[in-house]
Parts: sequence; structure tokens; C-alpha cells
Amino acid sequence: MCHGPGPGTVLGMTDSIVELRDLRAVHGAEPRQVTALAGVSASFRRATFTAVMGPSGSGKSTLLHCAAGLDRPAAGQVIIDGTDLGGLDEEARTRLRRDRVGFVFQAYNLVSSLTAAQNVGLPLRLAGRRPDPAAVAGALDAVGLAGRAGHRPSELSGGEQQRVAVARALLSRPAVVFADEPTGALDTAASRQVLDLLRALVDQHERTVVLVTHDPVAAAHADRVLILNDGRIVDDLAGTTAERIAARTALAEERC
Amino acid sequence: MLTVRRLLGAFVAVALGVTVVACSSLLLAAGRPAVPDRLARAAVVVQSPTARVLADPFPPTVPWSTTASQDLAARLDALPGVAAAVADRMFYAQPAGDDRITEGHGWSSAGMSRARLVTGRPPQGPGEVVLDRPPGPVTLLTAGGPASYTVTGTIDRPELYLADPVATRLAPGVHAIGLLLEPGADPERVADAARTVVGPGGQVHTGDARAALEPRADARTRWIGMQILTGTAVLAAFATVFVVAATFALVVAQRRRELALLRTVGAQPRQVSRMVRREALIVGVAGSLVGTALGTGLAPLLGGVLVSSGMEPASYAVRFTAWPIVAALLLGPVVAVLGVSVSAWRAARVPPQEALRDAAVEQRPMGRPRWIAGGLLVATGVLGAVGVAIADDAQQGGNLTLLSAMALVAGAAVLAPAVVPAVARLLTWPAARLPGATAVLVRQGMRTAPRRTAATAAPVLLTVAFAVLVSGLVQTTTEADAAGSGAAVQADRVVAPDGTPGLTDAAVSAVSGVAVLPTTVFAGDRPLIALGVDPEPWVAAQRRLRVRSGSVPSLRGPGTVAITESYAAAVRAAAPPAAASGSSGSGSSSPAPETLELTFADGSRSTLRVVAVIADGVVAADLLLSRDTVRRHDPSALTSAVYVDGPVTVPAGTGARVLSVRAYAAEADAAEDRLIWLFTLLLIGVSAGYGAIAVATTLLMAATSRGPDLRVLHRTGATIGRVRRALAAEAAVVVAIGALLGGAAATVALLGVRAGLSEQAGTSVPLVVPWPVVGAVVGLCLLLAVGAALLPTFTARQRIRPS
Repeated sequence: MCHGPGPGTVLGMTDSIVELRDLRAVHGAEPRQVTALAGVSASFRRATFTAVMGPSGSGKSTLLHCAAGLDRPAAGQVIIDGTDLGGLDEEARTRLRRDRVGFVFQAYNLVSSLTAAQNVGLPLRLAGRRPDPAAVAGALDAVGLAGRAGHRPSELSGGEQQRVAVARALLSRPAVVFADEPTGALDTAASRQVLDLLRALVDQHERTVVLVTHDPVAAAHADRVLILNDGRIVDDLAGTTAERIAARTALAEERC
Repeated sequence: MLTVRRLLGAFVAVALGVTVVACSSLLLAAGRPAVPDRLARAAVVVQSPTARVLADPFPPTVPWSTTASQDLAARLDALPGVAAAVADRMFYAQPAGDDRITEGHGWSSAGMSRARLVTGRPPQGPGEVVLDRPPGPVTLLTAGGPASYTVTGTIDRPELYLADPVATRLAPGVHAIGLLLEPGADPERVADAARTVVGPGGQVHTGDARAALEPRADARTRWIGMQILTGTAVLAAFATVFVVAATFALVVAQRRRELALLRTVGAQPRQVSRMVRREALIVGVAGSLVGTALGTGLAPLLGGVLVSSGMEPASYAVRFTAWPIVAALLLGPVVAVLGVSVSAWRAARVPPQEALRDAAVEQRPMGRPRWIAGGLLVATGVLGAVGVAIADDAQQGGNLTLLSAMALVAGAAVLAPAVVPAVARLLTWPAARLPGATAVLVRQGMRTAPRRTAATAAPVLLTVAFAVLVSGLVQTTTEADAAGSGAAVQADRVVAPDGTPGLTDAAVSAVSGVAVLPTTVFAGDRPLIALGVDPEPWVAAQRRLRVRSGSVPSLRGPGTVAITESYAAAVRAAAPPAAASGSSGSGSSSPAPETLELTFADGSRSTLRVVAVIADGVVAADLLLSRDTVRRHDPSALTSAVYVDGPVTVPAGTGARVLSVRAYAAEADAAEDRLIWLFTLLLIGVSAGYGAIAVATTLLMAATSRGPDLRVLHRTGATIGRVRRALAAEAAVVVAIGALLGGAAATVALLGVRAGLSEQAGTSVPLVVPWPVVGAVVGLCLLLAVGAALLPTFTARQRIRPS
């Protein structure tokens, strides 16, 4: 297979919130097995915004699942905030997700029977704590939904639902926020709002954000772009314009 | 987390179930045996010893003979505190045309009753009677036939008294002696003293325990009523668990994505299952409160119905006792938690990755645990059906039938997802040949979501299964009775009682046919049914008589008895083994007993010579006696029916009528028949009503979740009409699946019943399924299902506007 300019190197240990070491993952069972990740190593530093790009089938969703602890890789290590996920049982993984990881999905972010405010406080409630109403209001305000606290997801637009998910990530103070194609179903204005919020998470609140996307415009908001193809990292750029990202992506696809 | 609409089905199920259970329990608790009115003033009653019978909950008592009772009464009279010891004599006596009174007593018994002589004087000799009508002539029917009497006195209760000497002639045997106490005497002390006098030769009752003297027929009626109510309550509880389980299975299946999201953001599996269980608990508590309130309100009304229809005496009143209400309140939560247990476990196992995937297509509808559970349930049901086929005891058979049916229904519901795709394909095959999208949509919808389809078909399954079972049970049993009795005797007509409890001798001698006079005799303390027959005509009329030894016509001679094979075997088994020592080498069959010592209905004991042993299955009794013998010892015995071959007329005023053999068999026992029909109506009502509501709410629930699918359909070009047709077709197929599975489950149980009845009747009994009833129930389910499926397409929020 082709090799890019080398896999992402492991930077200073203490700086890394999420570390992936030689991840391998497969889909399906013999004999129709498909390799999703063929040895991915990467490191995500604190207070950085990283975009993971690649064509469909490149393994970027699988990478996110493994990195977030939703899936167990066939081989390799995942370390979140110093904790190796490999040694944890289901209950401990769940606790880790609850306390240390935030999620923003393309759709179905919220529990439909809860209001926006209740959704924002959900991880805290699951941990057995009562969310401070002022903090909830503050989180909703930070994402521009101050007046919508009592509304249900069915009364919110797609973009507004994303923003509530971001507010949820704000409140529970996770170590890392994983976003999976959050702008896939939004128009440009709403997309920009969500991406700006994610950027603010990093700049103002010192969170770490890992964004999986196929959209170069979204990736342009990031500090660093990883390009995946055929289950490997084939390119690693510092944050740049959308055009250059698109060009590098096309190049990576062409080569392999 | 709680949305009312989603859990409506479960709530309705619990509320209904608790209502039925609360109502039944309150009615049950109210039905306590009452002290018979005619013994009200006898504070202590001495009853003759009870016969020892294993299967009968209401054993008869062995009567004292006249001399024995006189002796005992004298000794009891001598006790301190006893004003008088009255031997109670009961015999058949009925004023012609009056069906309120069918028993008479000696005038001395009037002292124990609450009745008071209003005018006139007590009866003193033959031909005199005291009734609740003004003095004058009256025709009385006794076991001998109609006769003219004169009313000499009027009392204020519907009771009948003859002079004591006449009573002694009509009822020589005494079953109870009542003690009238002196004022200020303590019933308990007198009872204790009486016990020492009586010893093992009787039982002494006082206070409420005197209810043991309730007429056996009343006790049996009450007992049947208890069985019915218990059966209804059990069925309601089962149906509730069933529907709750199906509802929550559906709810969890529909909320998979949301549950996965919860798992993703950090809910532990334990927390997820606890959430589902908590919802079920809330539904259970709410349903319990509503159901208990409804049941408590309904019970007095139903109690009134029971009294006015004659099922219960006028003293029956529903009181608000604690245990039924507490049980009903607890039932809801218990049932809800039970029903949700599997779904809660499922919910906890939803993997978080499903939040990111399209979860509309179910993976692996039938896991191994489900196959095993379904297999076990079906096996239990089949075993139960086999048990019914070989059961001897009718009550045991009834319980097993219910158990078998419940197991089969549950098994069918559990295994349903396995057959849903195949059945759906089969049912839509004709429509799929035609152009159009409806069939394809319906079929695919079911193939990709077999568990959801199975959960929505479950209430239909339950409803149809129990409708088929209950109505089929009643019809098949009736056919069996007709087949059985029709086969035994060469006759095409029956002379049966008309407004009387039995035929008098006058009626019997007015027609020439085969009559049987039943009476109860006792061998030691074991009661036996003996039939009094006219030997030659009876033998001539039998189609299936096989005599093992001796000859039945020898019954003509005095002091003779014929016994059945099985009774002979029972006597041999109880005989001391020393008797067999001399015949150890004589082979398998030792000789039948040569004599029997029997106690008759008048309390007298005599030894009879055994003149014949007949094969089993010919008579529904243990012994045959000559009619004269029975009449001599039991002056109040009545003939139940006379079988006649050929045209016959009965004289008026004898209390008899003529009908065909089949019609007579179908009538059997009037009171018991009414109860059985009540049973049928109640069970079908409960299960069909229950199931119908469950069908409606479950399908409504399933339908409202299909909104997004329907919008897609509409946008890709389906008109609103086509969408509705597709939904209606899907609902129809779901009902069809439920009906087929439910019908199959019930049929297996009915096959067991049929086999059992065939064996008892001695001939093959046809399996009768009343198609009109089944059709009506399926039609009702169809109506509700299609209505529920189409309703969301009419409501505002889900309106698919034609563009």
C-alpha cells in the first residue's frame, strides 16, 4: 500500500488528551471481513481542534468509535486523559464516556422526550448529581439558545439541536469532544454557527475537539487535519484554508 | 422519559386486569357459606358422620336410622342447658306448580326455624300440611306421586311441614339433630358436652360452623361460582402480564436509538434497565389505583346481578374486606414489573454504537434464549393437553386445560417472530402478483421487523386463542354429553321432570320405559351411588351391556345387588391378604366378593348377596339394585329420567314432560348449565374485551411511530389513499397472523380436551369450533386494528398533506 509522509508522531506525553497507538479494526465476520483500520497511531493535544478527513470507507467513523470508547479495536491501544481503555470493563467505559467525553452527532443528538435544558444536564444526572440551573442556562446562552431552555427537540431545528449538544458538552466539561459530521445536514449559516461554537470550545474553554468530516470548509476551522484512506493516516497538515485541504484530500485519494 | 401515549396500552391493560381481579376477589370474599335459615334457632346442631371421599369437596353424611337417632336425641336432651333435641327429617315434597319449595320437614323441625305460625294449627295426621298460604286444599307431590292435602296452618316463610309421623315415614334416615337451648345457656359448653355424648358417631357444630349443614347443592353452586371467579381472575392476571410484556417489547424496540444515545452519553446498562423498570412501575401503580377503584365500584353491582339471577341467596352482600383490595393494589406493580423484566434486560443490552447507525432493521429476531423459552412453553402446553386427555377428575382436567392454553399462547407469542416473515409472505402472495406497491411494502415491512410485528400481533393472538378455547370447550363438552348418553340406551325420547327436581313414581309408572332410581348408599363410611332398576326391561334396553359373571335379572330376588368390575376390584384390594392365601396358585382373578354390607338412606344396615358383576362404562354408578329395594329404603328418592322408545304421552299434573334424547342431554342440569354459560360469557367477555382494547392501543402506538416512514412514502409519490391502503393491509395481515397463531394454540388445547372427553363418553367426540363466535371476535380485532392503524393519518400532527 502507499505511505504518506509518515504517521502522526507521538508528541509530549503530558500534553496528549487522546492517544491512539497502532489501532486495528475490522468489520464483519470471516470470510467477508473488511479492514477498517490498518494500524493508525495519532495523538491529540490538549486545547487543539483536529479534523479527521477521508472518503467514505476510509475508516474515519471507525476511528472515532474506537477513540471515543464506543467500540473495541481488534488491536492497539486507546488512551484518554491518561486512562487506557483496553483495561476497562463496560461499566468503567461508560463512566469514562459520561465524565470525560462529549459527543456531537449529525442527527439524533438529543433525547426526544426531554427539554433542551434537561438534555444539557443529562450526563450530570446520569452521574447522580444535580445540574446547577444557572450553569445550564449559561451553557445554553453560550450557544445562543438562551430562550429555548424549555423546548423539546421536536421544536428545534437541526442546527439548534446540534447547538444544544454543544452546550451539553460545555456543561459536563469533558476532556475531549468528538463530533461526527455535525454539519452534514445543515445549511451554510447553521454550519458556520456550529463550527464557530466548536472553535470557541477550544479557544475559550480549552477543550479538545476531534471533528470527523468530509467537508473541507468545516476542516478549515481546525488546527490540524488528518487525512485517512484505506484505514491508514496518509496525510497530516497544519490548519489551513479549505482550498488547500481539498487539494490535499484529492491528492491523497488519487495516490491510493 | 415518560410519554403517556407510548405507554397507554400497558396502562389500559393493567387497569383492566386489576379491575377484573378486584371485582372477582370481592365477590369471592362475599360468598361465604351461610347457616341455613331452617336451623337458625338451634344454637347447637349435631350432624351425622361424614362419609370419607377423596375427590368430593362436599361429601354426604351417613344417616342415622330412626332408632339410632331416637336414642341419640334422648341422650342429648338429658344434657344440662338443652330444652329440646329435635331430629330433623328432610324429604321431597312440592306443592304442585310451585317451584319455590321442593323439600319438606317434620313439624317438630319448625321449632328450629325462624318461621312462626300466623293462623291455624300445626299438622297432626296424614293429609295435613302447613305452608305459607291460607288454609284450604292443596295438591302435594311427594316421591310416590301427587296427592291431596289440606293446609291446616299458615306460616310466614316459604317452608313446608308435615306431621311428625308422616315425616318419619317419608324420611326414616336422620342427618341432623338440632338442640334448642334453655335461655341463658352457653352454646359452647353445651356443644362440648354434646361432643362427649356423640363421640366419633357424629359432629357437633355451633355458631357459624353450622354452615356445614348447608344443602350440598347450594354448596356446590357456590363452589362452582368460586371456580369461575378464580378462573376469571387468573385469566385476567395472565392476560395483563402478557399485554404488558408485549407493549414494553414494542416500546423498547421503538426506542432503541434513544436508548443507544443514553448509553453513549454515559448511562450504565443498569441505569437504562432501571429506567425502563421504573416506567413500568409507574404504569403499574397508576393502573392499580384506577383498576382497584373501578373494581370496588363494580363489585356491588355484579353482586346484585348474581342475587337477582338466582346464583346466590338473598343474604349475599359484597362487603369491603381488606384482602381483595390490598391484593388488587399490589397486583398492578407486580404484574408490570414481571411483564417488563425481559424488555428491561433487552434495553440494557442495546450497544451505544446503535446511536450512530440506522437501527430500523432488527438484527437476529430470534436469539437462542427465545427459541429455548418458546420451545419449553409449547412443550409444556402440549404436555398439558395430553394430561387433559388422560385426566380422570373433571376439575383437574379443567385446570390443566387452562394451564395448557396459557402455556401455548405464551409459546406462540414468543416464537411468533420466527413465523412472521413466512406467514406474511404467504398471505401477501396473491396480492404480490398484481402490479402495485402495497403488497411489497407490507411484506417488506414485516420481514424487516418481525419482532415489532409479533409484538403487535400478540394481543390478537391472546384474544382469538381464548375465544376459540372457551367457546370450543363448551360446545365440545355439550356434544360429548349428548354423544355419551345417546349411545348407551336404546331410546329416542326421554320423559324428564318439568318444574320438579325429579320424577315421582306416579309419573314413572304412567309410561313404560327404562327408568333409573338413584340413591346413595354407604359401604362403611364410603358413599356409593346405587341405581334402582327394573331388571328385565333395563337389560333389554342396554346397547353395551357386558356381564362378567352372574346375571342381572337375578336382582328380582330380595336382598340382592349387582356391582361393577372396578368396584369389585376396589373391594378385593381392600380385603385382608389372608383370604388369598388359599388361592395363591389359582391364577390372576380371585373370585368377586359374595356379599356386601350396606347402609341405606334410612340408616338401616343389611347384608346383600352379589348376583352379578358388570363391565365398566355401562352405568355411571357403582351398584345396581332392584327398584323395589331402593324405594323401600329411600322413600324420597326421585327418578331423574325415563328413556322411552317410541311415542309417549304423559298425564298432566305429574310434573313431567317429553323431549328427544339429544335435547335432554343438552339440558343436563339446569342450574349448572346456566352457570356454565355465565362462565363462557365471562371468560370470552374478559379476554375478548381485554384483547380488543389491547389491540387498539398497541396498534395505535405502533402506528404513530411510523410517521417518518409515511412521510417518505408520500414524498416518493404515494397518494394518501395508497398510504392508507398499505397501512390497512398491514394491519389486516397482523390480525391474520395473530388469529392463525392464536387459533392454532387453542386448537392444540382443545384436541386434548376432545381426547379426554372421547375416552369418558366411550365414543368419538367431534371437535366443535363455533365459527360464528370466532368470526365475530376476529372481525372485531380487524375493525379495531385497521381503525387504530389509520387513525394517525387523520390527526393533525401526522397529516400527510397531498401536494
